[in-house]
Amino acid sequence: MARILLRFSEEQVSQPIASQIIIEYKVPMAILSAHMNSKGGEILAEIPDELQEKIVAAFRERGVSVTVPKLIEVDKEKCFSCGSCVALCPVEAIKVAQDCSIEFSKEKCVGSTCSICVDACPAKAIKSIKQNNSEQSNIRKK
Amino acid sequence: MSKLSKTRSIEEINEKIRKGDVQVLTAEEMKKLVESSSVEVAFKEVDVVTTGTFGAMCSSGAVINLGHSDPPIKIAHAWMNDVEVCHPGAAVDLFIGATNQSEKQPFEYGGGHVIQDLVAGKEIELRATAYGTDCYPRTQLKTSITKNDLNQFYLLNFRNCYQRYNCAVNTSDETIYTYMSKLLPHLRNATFSGAGELNPLMNDPDYETIGMGTRIFLGGGQGYVIGEGTQHSPKNLNGTLMVKGDAKKMSPEFLQGASFTRYGTTMYVGLGIPIPILNEGLAKKTAIRDSEIITDVVDYSVMRRDRPKLRQVSYRELKSGSITINDKKVRVSSLSSLKMAKKVSQTLKSWIEEGQFFLTSPIERLPTDTVFKPMRQTEIPFVVTVMHPAITCTETEEIRDIAKRIVTQSVNHIVVVDDIGKLKGIVTSWDVTRAMAEGKKGLSDIETHNVFTAKPDEPLEVASKRMAQHNISALPVVDVENKVLGIVTAEDVAELLGR
Repeated sequence: MARILLRFSEEQVSQPIASQIIIEYKVPMAILSAHMNSKGGEILAEIPDELQEKIVAAFRERGVSVTVPKLIEVDKEKCFSCGSCVALCPVEAIKVAQDCSIEFSKEKCVGSTCSICVDACPAKAIKSIKQNNSEQSNIRKK
Repeated sequence: MSKLSKTRSIEEINEKIRKGDVQVLTAEEMKKLVESSSVEVAFKEVDVVTTGTFGAMCSSGAVINLGHSDPPIKIAHAWMNDVEVCHPGAAVDLFIGATNQSEKQPFEYGGGHVIQDLVAGKEIELRATAYGTDCYPRTQLKTSITKNDLNQFYLLNFRNCYQRYNCAVNTSDETIYTYMSKLLPHLRNATFSGAGELNPLMNDPDYETIGMGTRIFLGGGQGYVIGEGTQHSPKNLNGTLMVKGDAKKMSPEFLQGASFTRYGTTMYVGLGIPIPILNEGLAKKTAIRDSEIITDVVDYSVMRRDRPKLRQVSYRELKSGSITINDKKVRVSSLSSLKMAKKVSQTLKSWIEEGQFFLTSPIERLPTDTVFKPMRQTEIPFVVTVMHPAITCTETEEIRDIAKRIVTQSVNHIVVVDDIGKLKGIVTSWDVTRAMAEGKKGLSDIETHNVFTAKPDEPLEVASKRMAQHNISALPVVDVENKVLGIVTAEDVAELLGR
């Protein structure tokens, strides 16, 4: 599965863009997180790898900004494995390993739309980086 | 040692270290050995048990001596990488406190980071000012230094190694940021600190071997216990230590600057103590398990010294990742690093095995009966001391009448109550002005229903913080039944607390 971050402007948010694309391309789309109101918002969604290029193109045609979100970035040099972040993670993407190291699962992490762990890190080792470039063409496959 | 002997001495252990046949186990290994064999066997087989902890220890710092500048300066104020450092003594002695924050990057970089950077060999910018004397004429100084330029660089921590600590939760409606890290509302997470069964003081709770002069692992180097720590409260298992060591020989891995969002900066300190197994009693004590170490779950949303305790919990439950509070499963995180605590105990073990670390007998025992007293306060202003009668109205009244009352009583807040005096809402002079401008007539159009209130027995500081937090200028004071007793305003606070 591939993750895409969709950003809707104030004008787009009232249109049924996502549902049109889901119907037209018959794409099973899992919504991992969504923050929307009348001013716009963003949806983090998961779609099958083989449909990624088509779907991204379809959203962009309709003017929606699409990025492949960079997930939470952990500086392993800075992290001293306290575990302050573990219980905060709503999707259990952070776990304590057998040897008490802290392990991040990029697969599970919902990335920059959540970021609940970022300001709880005493080592300031966690960063969430939002990518704003909707024209970015090098869509990475997982 | 003869087969029948029930004791061993520190001298005997040091002799074995010299010969290279000392038997050392980490605290983790010792517990397993006692469980799989017995206290008697463990006493016979083990000479030393190494403990360790690695956590945020705010009352940490470093003493440095800079040497004299030319012309000389008697420093009055000094900053290292923009962190103000203290000048407790003569001309060029400074104390770097871990919690002092950078003036340019507050809440990001602080004294703990300065110490870590110095230990790592990095160059630090030093600025100082002085008033100038005949013997110390210089008034300004700017230079950069590394640890090699310093005459002395001692870690000097006056409260380290807390024996155990609270588990923190938040029952309020809003996220709070504390020294126990980020606490989500409605018990959505919990945090705890301390290494539990690996903690040095938990393995020698009667201070039989840990005392003044005990050589320890400190920050990746060797240090000493120089006394009991401040707030040392051994009777209720809240013992602490004061420690000192040569920071030039320490490692940035075991001394790390850290910052808790909206709380401030601190330093994580790695500290480990070897417990000589002098008798069977110590073998038994070092077998203590997390399930036997109990602490309180404390509600940090109550801004008082004595915060409500919601339940008791063992370190075993805390380390399991979740605890139950009021029938709710709450996920719990550690703030200190258990991985690093284990590394401390393992490193200390290897030092002893390799003959690089010898044990010491304490030259004086630490007190085992002191208690941690609260502060003597000559005055604690409470809401009840400044509250005054509220000017009220009912929901059936017209805005015109309320406007009149604001003028005649010269107040800014009218509290809306029902027939029996229970709080329904609040109206401000601003609301009334707006209603006039917009032609609104009904009180319901302008009344605020979701009112922040105060209790009469609350400290005024707490009420003041609530007003600032929600950007409001008054709080109706209510009793347990929500009946209005009076009102406290920002002006009342300003008058009494001078802000």
